[in-house]
This record gives sequence, C-alpha cells and structure tokens, in this order.
Amino acid sequence: MAMTSTLGNAEPTVEPKTRRNLTTAWLLIPGVAWMVLFLALPILMMIYISFWTQTTFTIKSDLTTANWVNFFTSPTYLDSLWTTVRIWITVLAATLIVGYPTALFVGLLVRNKTTQTVLLVLCVIPFWTSFLIRVLAWRPMLGTDGAINLILLKLGLISQPIQALLFSELSVVIGMTQIYCVFMVGPIAFMMGRIDPNVIEAAQDLGAGFWRIFRTIILPLSMPGVVVGAIFVSVMVLGEFATSAALSGRKVNMLGNIIVTQVGSLKWAFAAVVGAVLTVLMGLVVAGLLRIVDLRKEL
Amino acid sequence: MSTILQLTGVSKSYGEVSALRAVHLDVADNAYVTLLGPSGSGKTSLLRVIAGFELPDAGSVALRGRPIDGVPAHRRGIGFVFQNFALFPHLTVERNISYGLENRETDPVTDPKIWRGRTKDIMELVGLTGFGGRNVNQISGGQRQRVALARTLITEPRLVLLDEPLGALDANLRSRMRAELRQIRERLGIAFLHVTGNESEALAMGDVVVVLDHGAVTQIGDPDTVYNRPASPQVARFLNRYNLFTGQPSTADFQTAHGRFPIAGANVITATGAEPAYAIRYDRIAVKPAAASAGAGEVRVEGAFVASEYTGASVLSFFALPDGKVIEVESHLSQRPPETYEPHAPYSLIWNREAALVFV
Repeated sequence: MAMTSTLGNAEPTVEPKTRRNLTTAWLLIPGVAWMVLFLALPILMMIYISFWTQTTFTIKSDLTTANWVNFFTSPTYLDSLWTTVRIWITVLAATLIVGYPTALFVGLLVRNKTTQTVLLVLCVIPFWTSFLIRVLAWRPMLGTDGAINLILLKLGLISQPIQALLFSELSVVIGMTQIYCVFMVGPIAFMMGRIDPNVIEAAQDLGAGFWRIFRTIILPLSMPGVVVGAIFVSVMVLGEFATSAALSGRKVNMLGNIIVTQVGSLKWAFAAVVGAVLTVLMGLVVAGLLRIVDLRKEL
Repeated sequence: MSTILQLTGVSKSYGEVSALRAVHLDVADNAYVTLLGPSGSGKTSLLRVIAGFELPDAGSVALRGRPIDGVPAHRRGIGFVFQNFALFPHLTVERNISYGLENRETDPVTDPKIWRGRTKDIMELVGLTGFGGRNVNQISGGQRQRVALARTLITEPRLVLLDEPLGALDANLRSRMRAELRQIRERLGIAFLHVTGNESEALAMGDVVVVLDHGAVTQIGDPDTVYNRPASPQVARFLNRYNLFTGQPSTADFQTAHGRFPIAGANVITATGAEPAYAIRYDRIAVKPAAASAGAGEVRVEGAFVASEYTGASVLSFFALPDGKVIEVESHLSQRPPETYEPHAPYSLIWNREAALVFV
C-alpha cells in the first residue's frame, strides 16, 4: 500500500531525466558566473580597450587601429615577441630534458610508493621558498663573483669570470627551468605510475629489448603526461615577467615585461594590445599541444 | 617424451619469506602441465623465475637441456600469458598480436605483408577473426584472453607459461576456454605450463598435475593419481574432496578424537614430513538413520545435520560431529533422489574402510 501511494505521488509531467538535468545545472552556476565576470568580460574589455585612442597621459574611447599597427611595425615589440617565443621553446626543451628522465625514474623504476612520494616532494621543495628569494638566490650563484665562477676559477678551468652567466638570457632560462621543471615532472611521473609493470614485462617476454620497449610502449603511454606538463610550463613561461626582470637586469624583455612597463606608464591601450597578442599566442600553443594526444581518452 | 624445461633446486625468498624451496621439476615437451597450489604457495614466483623476470637465489633453470640462468627474459623464447592479460592499451588487437614479431630483438619481421599474414593466421587459430582493428578496451574479457594468448603464440615459443589464465573470466566462459586451450596446444604441439589455484581446473586440463605447497613440489602425477592417491594430507586438502581427521596411527587402527578407525584394508600412504591423517572422500560416505550401525568392514561416526548445498548433479550435505568438526558428504542425484534431512537431528555417517586413505 505504501508503495502504491508513493508511486501515485510522483509528478508524471516532469521526466526524471529532465529534472535531474535541471538540478545538476545549479552546480554550474558559481563556476560560470565566476568565469564570465572575471575571465570572459575582462578579455572582451581588453580587446575593446586595445582599439581606444592613446595619447601620452590620457586614453579616449575613440576607436582606432593605431595601437595594433604600432605593435606589428615596431622592431622593439616584434623583437620582444620573438624573445618570448625563443625563451618559451628553450625552457620547454630544458624542462623536458631534465624532467622526463627524472619522471621515468620516479614513476616507473621506483616501485615503492613512499619513496616515490618522497622523491616527488623533493622536486617541489624549490616551491617552498618565496618567489623573490628563489629568484634572487641565483645572483650569488651565477654572478661574476658568484659560486659557479669562483669554483671554475679555483679549478683553473677558466681564467676570467664568465660574464654571461648572470643578467643574460642564459640566467633567465636557468632560473625558469629550475622553477617550472616540477610541473613537467609531476604529470609525466603520474602517467608513468599508471603503466602496468606487467605490460612492460609482456613486451620483454615477446623479445623486445630496452630501447624498443621505451619507444613502443613507455613513450606513447607517457605522452599525455608530456603534453599536460608542456601546457603547464608553456602557459607559465609565456606569461612570465618577474624571473626575466630579476635575472636579466631588465635586458631580456618578454611580452610580460612590456605589459608591466606600459601599464606603469599608463599606456592602457597599448598594454591591452600586448595582452591580446599574448592571449592568442597561448591559445595557439595550447591548441597545438592538445593536437599531439587525445587527452579525452586518458580521463 | 623429451623434457623441455628442467628446474633443479630452485629457491627464492623475498626478505624473510621464502617463496620457493628447492623446487625440482621436469616439464615434458608437447604436454599440458597444470601447476596446482593455493594462494601464497609460490606458483606465480615459480613462473616469474622460469620466464626470467626474477632471478632465483639458488638453483638452475634449463630449457631443452641448456641452462638459461643468465639469459635475460627477452632472449629466453618462453611465452608468458599474464593473469590480467597485460595487453598494450594503446595498440589495436592486430598490433598487440604482431608486437612480438615486429619488435623482437632477434630476427624482427619488418615486412608488413609478412606480419599481417601471420597475425591473420594466428587470429584465426584463437578465434579473433574480424577483431583486428578494434582497440583492446573495446573487446570482451574472453576476447582479451585470446589476444593475450595469440600475442604469445605468434612468436612460436616451445613453452608457454600461463598464470591463472582463466581467473579473470566468468564461469561459463571459463569452461569453454578450458577445452579451447587444450585444443590449441594440441594443434601446435608445444608445452603449456598452466598455473591455477582451482583444483577442478588443474585436474580437468592437465596431462600432468604438479602440486605446489609452501614453495615446494609435493606431488607430480596424472590427474587420476593425484585425485585418488594424493601424496600428502595437504594435497588431499587442496583437492577439496576429502574429509581429513588428524590423530595417531597404530598397526591396527587410527586413533582420532572421533573414535578408532580401523586401518586394515585402507590405503596406507607414506607421506614424509606431514602429520598423520585419515582421509575419506565426500562421495564415499553414506548417510543413514541414527540407529543404523556399522556393518562388517565399515566405519561409523555420528553427526548432526547442519545444511546442504544443491549443485545440480549432486547435493553436498554438512554434518557436525560432537566436537564441532564438519563432515561433508556428497550424494550424486543420478543414483538416488535427494533426501531431506532434519536440521540438528543426528545421523549415522558410514563408509567402507577400504575407501579411506591413511597418511602415515
């Protein structure tokens, strides 16, 4: 009897599926509201402002393409775009070269979960110090009177301190690689950890040697980790301004540094142009990386 | 029959735990050998040592008379079918199967025409025709099992190790794969060493059954011998078909907590290193009213009926002896219709003393 009355109370007009969809849609509201307010609107605003008219100290809402023409004709800005791309590719390659073997070791060869966690935590340690201290610590390391030059001099490998170590593009690349390497190691080690050891043994049993197994099994199965890691590193490096400013003595100007300078001198319209260019560049890079692997299969 | 695989005194321990204790084993060429052992008996360790994934602490493994102790796994030419199949998740069924041909270190097949042809043949053999383009995640458990087998067979090993290959399949599929595995092996004329924890699987599939207990081989024999004359009380226990009583044997009888069972006429088996035991098979016991007494040459104990389990062709009934020990009795329904027993009521359990096995 109780059963019948419960069934009788059900609303026949609303399909259960539709009702569930309506309920679950509520879950999206905070996220969507946040993204619209603080991501979509600011981006649209930025694009709009990039077409405003900029004079030395004021900005007017008269639309013009002068800022865009200025960006794409000025060698300074094009040079900065190229510097950004160059540093991005170098740091990406460096984090991959340092990070992939590390991740292979931590994720695949270390089978003890505790040791694995300890090693991953070691990779995160640079993050426990503040950004400023971490970056500034490179100065006594790389400087003309720094530790590396002193050691090389003592060993007699060089007769004069190497000037290029600090306040150069090299020091920027070294600093960024150190900071962002963990973002490469993490995702790759995670994918490595998901490889069933039996799968590797199976390949071995079928007669494949180490390099063959690496190329045909380990590399393809860890590719999603490489792509995710590369996306993390790319997005962070492309938007960088602090490391490049602190370690290059303002000699290396990435797009991020240009934005800082322009905003500092109240040139909002021009900063918006650089911001838009940077956003498009990141979008292209992420889209390109996602083409390498179908991440949907991994989730 | 020649010997394909020979293990001499193979021992292996993990820290304090010894997984294998001086295992001696000969596997005949062109035979289906099943290796029966409960979980933790060291059966997987044994297979891993043979395949070369792990090195034994002592002893030697020889393949076709030649020791292969220093040979790495990928140069041994022994096939291994994993319990979880361990298929390459990023490759199609066809590429999984052709993997060994394309990627082996010695003499790889690089011509796609050749490996495609051989893959097609082997897929036909295991019944996978038409599935070549599928992803290994899009096929059923039984098909995954076939891929794992085909992938191993294509490299033409003389010996294939199967680690509980039917464990991940449902009961229906399992019984079909039993027959199929035997047929495939017969057609190829190679040796299969099949590890299992399931006694009926071991008896049904093996030409030879090897029983492993606590890392040591306790019996090697054909299924009939292992079933009817287990070499030790432990083996009898794994078979899951014997009621075992512990006690003290003397010349005339076997003294247990449930009375003296006469030995005369019973099969006496000398099992070294084991506690003496008296064993009677489930299907050799008759259930009679409590008042019934033992006839000439019969043994009787009294037990209270607990419950029964219907298995289709037979009924398994459980009786509790006064001290709580449970005796299992199997009645085949082809011989007589099922009887209904009164719960908790006493019954006489009677067997012919010649049906019993005594381990001394």
